[in-house]
Amino acid sequence: MLRRLNEKERFTPFLLLGPALLLMLLIVAYPLFQALRLSLFDASLLRPDRARFVGLTNYLNVLRDPLFLRSLLNSTIWVVGCVTLQFTIGMLGALLLNREFPGRGLVRGLSLIPWATSGVLVSLMWTWMLDGNYGVINDILVRLGLISQYRPWLALPISLGGVIAANVWQGAPFFAVMLLAAMQSVPQELYEAARIDGAGRFQQFRSVTIPLIMPTIVITTMLRIVWTANYMDLVFVMTGGGPGNASIILPVLSYITAYKKLKVGEATAMAVLQAILLIITLFVYLRLVNRKGEGGLSLYEV
Amino acid sequence: MRKSSVALTVVALVLFLLASTAAAKTRVTYWLWLDDPTDTTVQELVEEFNRLHPDIEVVTETIPLANYYDQLLMAISGGGGPDAARFKDWWLGAFYDADLLEDLSPYIANWPGADDVVPNLWNTGMIPGVDGIFMLPHQYITFYLYYRADWFAEAGLNPPRTFDEFLEAALKLTDPANNRYGFGLRGGAGGQDQWLAFMVAGGARIVDEAGNIVINSPKAVEVNQWYIDLYRKHQVAPPSAPTDAYAQVVGAFQAGNTAMMAHHVGSSVMMTDVFGDNVGVLPIPAADPENPATMGTMSGNVVFSTADVKDAAFKFISWLSEHEAMDKWSKSRQGQLPVLQSVAEQDYYTQNEFFRVSLEGGNYAIVWPPLPGTGYVASYVWQNTMQRALLGEITSQQMLDEIAKALREGN
Repeated sequence: MLRRLNEKERFTPFLLLGPALLLMLLIVAYPLFQALRLSLFDASLLRPDRARFVGLTNYLNVLRDPLFLRSLLNSTIWVVGCVTLQFTIGMLGALLLNREFPGRGLVRGLSLIPWATSGVLVSLMWTWMLDGNYGVINDILVRLGLISQYRPWLALPISLGGVIAANVWQGAPFFAVMLLAAMQSVPQELYEAARIDGAGRFQQFRSVTIPLIMPTIVITTMLRIVWTANYMDLVFVMTGGGPGNASIILPVLSYITAYKKLKVGEATAMAVLQAILLIITLFVYLRLVNRKGEGGLSLYEV
Repeated sequence: MRKSSVALTVVALVLFLLASTAAAKTRVTYWLWLDDPTDTTVQELVEEFNRLHPDIEVVTETIPLANYYDQLLMAISGGGGPDAARFKDWWLGAFYDADLLEDLSPYIANWPGADDVVPNLWNTGMIPGVDGIFMLPHQYITFYLYYRADWFAEAGLNPPRTFDEFLEAALKLTDPANNRYGFGLRGGAGGQDQWLAFMVAGGARIVDEAGNIVINSPKAVEVNQWYIDLYRKHQVAPPSAPTDAYAQVVGAFQAGNTAMMAHHVGSSVMMTDVFGDNVGVLPIPAADPENPATMGTMSGNVVFSTADVKDAAFKFISWLSEHEAMDKWSKSRQGQLPVLQSVAEQDYYTQNEFFRVSLEGGNYAIVWPPLPGTGYVASYVWQNTMQRALLGEITSQQMLDEIAKALREGN
């Protein structure tokens, strides 16, 4: 029997939520507010007490800066390249690991190693593998006859490609494991039913597997987009954004602006712009996924 | 009952004594980086200082050089940070501009060790056009050239003394088919120091005597072009040169991929361990041998204007620059060149070829001038523009214009 809650009872849920809300405010809202405020100041990291309010000047300067636009373009290549390749390789890995074969448990465990390796370590490994004087990748490519002479991959204008390769290696297992877990939760009866209806392997994959693991696909790619966009370890250690500006991405540019140029207000404006662009990207991505109707996922569910 | 009250009294007494001794001591926080973090020399020195000065307690914090400047910035901007710190000449300009450095000249006037310091090294702690000394000289390095003595002998080449001889040797020793190059040009992180060594040896200067920035003068553009051409035109540097940092340059030299590389005495022990007599050392070749020059850089000590215990802080940093401590530090694995004449005169330095060439360089070494943007140029702009120049995206002139602007404006 339903009855109206009395005053005290109505207040209780808020009381219980209170500590969590307060924490959220402290941990999320306060820094966010501080960042927005700081982006409106001409502040030097050395003397933040001498900061001057400059309104939107930082934003205008950043948007007019060709280096920012270059970083934005590189960031786009970085995120799209990394996430697409990681997803493709992860999906293939998940399909492989989903089959029965001897030693499967061991392979599954080992395949997670790249994901568990720290970013700086991955950077150093790949820096030396891609080294122009005695890197193993050059050695392999020369032996395969694909190149005739060693190439300094990270000193070429396409250095971002080398960093993307390292990140794909590191990030693909994440997709493989997440997608594998989702695949294993697909009821076998559905495949049986599909086979009875005459579906081939590819059709089973397209019409049974994909729709049922769609929520996982959406969530994992979204997470990866956010992580990759903010992930600067590899670029920072492997190329520092170079040679020149060849591999500079937004987080690296805002780091340099804050800690080398000491313009912390301008750096914050960049970070805020990146956050806004990221939110727009995710919004558009979710709209696109929803329109397809596969899985019928909403922002609320995510 | 009685026993416990005695125990209580003893505990109270001990606590009281501890508290009173702690209160009487002046606590000085000192930050530093170590080139070899496993070396305990500095720790021993600090303990010795604390023992000799019962009224002062120096507390150190060691931070890797790669994060040092960032962490110092963060700590100072947060209103905290140490009282005194190990410091590089590159950073003086920006910190002086922000009024964060204490003028040490009144303290130095009363410091008995001052007369022993090599006179021209005081310049490394001074700001052009400003009275005062903001960094106490401590350890420095000058750049010189390592060369493969065995390869030079095989090819019948004399060690190069001039730019022309240098280029000629580099060309002769370059053989890309065997992955062998004449010179390990460092275009990546940290490469600004060897670049500056060649720039000044070529006759270019960052600032003129009046303090004007002349790094984009026609002369500098010409020398810079010569340096860029080592890679672009003559191709005597490995193809990876634009991004090669210390590890790559040393690695390539030790692996037998390069015939010459520029560095300082910090790597001399390692080099002799690997090569024995097959490695030789030379001053940086000069465009005009009558006017040699090289790049020097000072690692000194500063006291921050934000410190509450400036007297005690200076006492500690000046003690580090006195004979005993200087001698010990200089001969440790952290060791660079001592700034004291009394230490540098020892056989230990005069009989060692690497030290000898380095100390000789001290007579004509030129340091990064403490301009507002020096730290920014040294940690970012140089590398960025050099790489673009090496890739052919910008000209020598454009590169130096960008550097001049960054030096002047600090951003």
